[in-house]
Amino acid sequence: MKKEICNFRINGRPYELLVAPNTTLSDLLREQLDLTGTKCSCGVGECGSCTVLVDGKPTLSCSTLAVTARDKDILTIEGLSRGTELHPIQKAFIDHGAIQCGYCTPGMIIMAKALLDNNPAPTLEEVKEAMAGNICRCTGYVKIIDAVIAAAHMMRKGGN
Amino acid sequence: MRILKPFEYFEPVTVSDAVGLLATYGDKSRILAGGIDLIPRMRRREISADYLISIQKIPGLDYIQEQENAGLKFGALARLYALENFKGIKKNYPGLHAAIHQISSIQTKHMGTAVGNLCVATPASDVATALLTLGAELTVSGVSRERKIPIGQFFLENNRTSLHGDEMVTGVNLPHPPNGMRTAFLNLFRTHSDIAKVSVAVAVVFEDGLCKEARIAIGAAAPTVFRAVNAEKALAGRKLNSKMIDEAAKIAAEETRPITDMRSTAEYRKSMSELLVRKALERTLESPKV
Repeated sequence: MKKEICNFRINGRPYELLVAPNTTLSDLLREQLDLTGTKCSCGVGECGSCTVLVDGKPTLSCSTLAVTARDKDILTIEGLSRGTELHPIQKAFIDHGAIQCGYCTPGMIIMAKALLDNNPAPTLEEVKEAMAGNICRCTGYVKIIDAVIAAAHMMRKGGN
Repeated sequence: MRILKPFEYFEPVTVSDAVGLLATYGDKSRILAGGIDLIPRMRRREISADYLISIQKIPGLDYIQEQENAGLKFGALARLYALENFKGIKKNYPGLHAAIHQISSIQTKHMGTAVGNLCVATPASDVATALLTLGAELTVSGVSRERKIPIGQFFLENNRTSLHGDEMVTGVNLPHPPNGMRTAFLNLFRTHSDIAKVSVAVAVVFEDGLCKEARIAIGAAAPTVFRAVNAEKALAGRKLNSKMIDEAAKIAAEETRPITDMRSTAEYRKSMSELLVRKALERTLESPKV
């Protein structure tokens, strides 16, 4: 199995990496780059906790080969804050108690970002639909949905 | 978390190179499109592939095109999300739109392709069930020729299609919906993100108040998605009323060959097939004509 040299832009920073084709994007992020904010929970594309944005599209990094993301722009949870200043979605999750064990949180927040980037004022129904592929086993869905709505509000007022 | 077994990886940029690789490596190779089904199954060791042929870099396969009075076509890399949001699908093929829309994970729809979903050949494919009622035709490329396969001849059994070893599906054609066609899609599931226990799609062409033609497809109730042809025959040329619908739904249920598994029992699947066919047909009486 030949390793390939791949270029990525991850959280705004360019990387040139030697990647084995059987490396998934979640493995690349977590094992090779130590970006362990992205969680790999079910590992088979069912829970959404490994969601990252690839060229702006919400993508299950556990079911994506890293080589197929070469030359693309990848955003993980680590890329949201500006220094110590949290992103409004992150703030809203904290303010609304939308985090319990935290395993689903990075995927939820990235998915919320994908939604709000395209739809700055989603309805409750639109939020529920957008987040349907992200499972929270602490069952904090109500607070998560509240947080996304609040973040949308904050962002429209110029929070970010 | 188990890592994927090593494999050789190819990124052809033309269909002929891709099918050439398929011909060279045969059973040991797999096509990678969206990866939604393939990668998790490789991780679970349900599929082993020594050679993985990504078609993601082949330009021009992600098209969705409406053709004036000639239906609609889409390519092997048309994502479910793009299809769901394509206006011509919602307008002319509402049953197909409903089948895609009810897939809950947005991530899955951004990554997954309709063609990939067909090539998995699971009897529980909602998309295949809907496409079966629409006269879809698959365009298939092999090393030496291109051919068309009507979707009704594509599925042989669970996970097996009529593709030859060197062939890949490059696109799907949907004929223009006949005047007076109404479609509906319904399914049952344990939780919304799980695959269906039973799914039903219908397309009924009405003419002068009569059912000129009915197509009834059922998913997850036999080794492949299939058309309930006896039920369809019972409706052809008749007026669709509740008695006829009840009768057709009973016939359709008799055409199922369901299994019992962790999602449902065979008896329940059969019984729910009847219910869903009845409800879907009733829905065509209410829905607007396309």
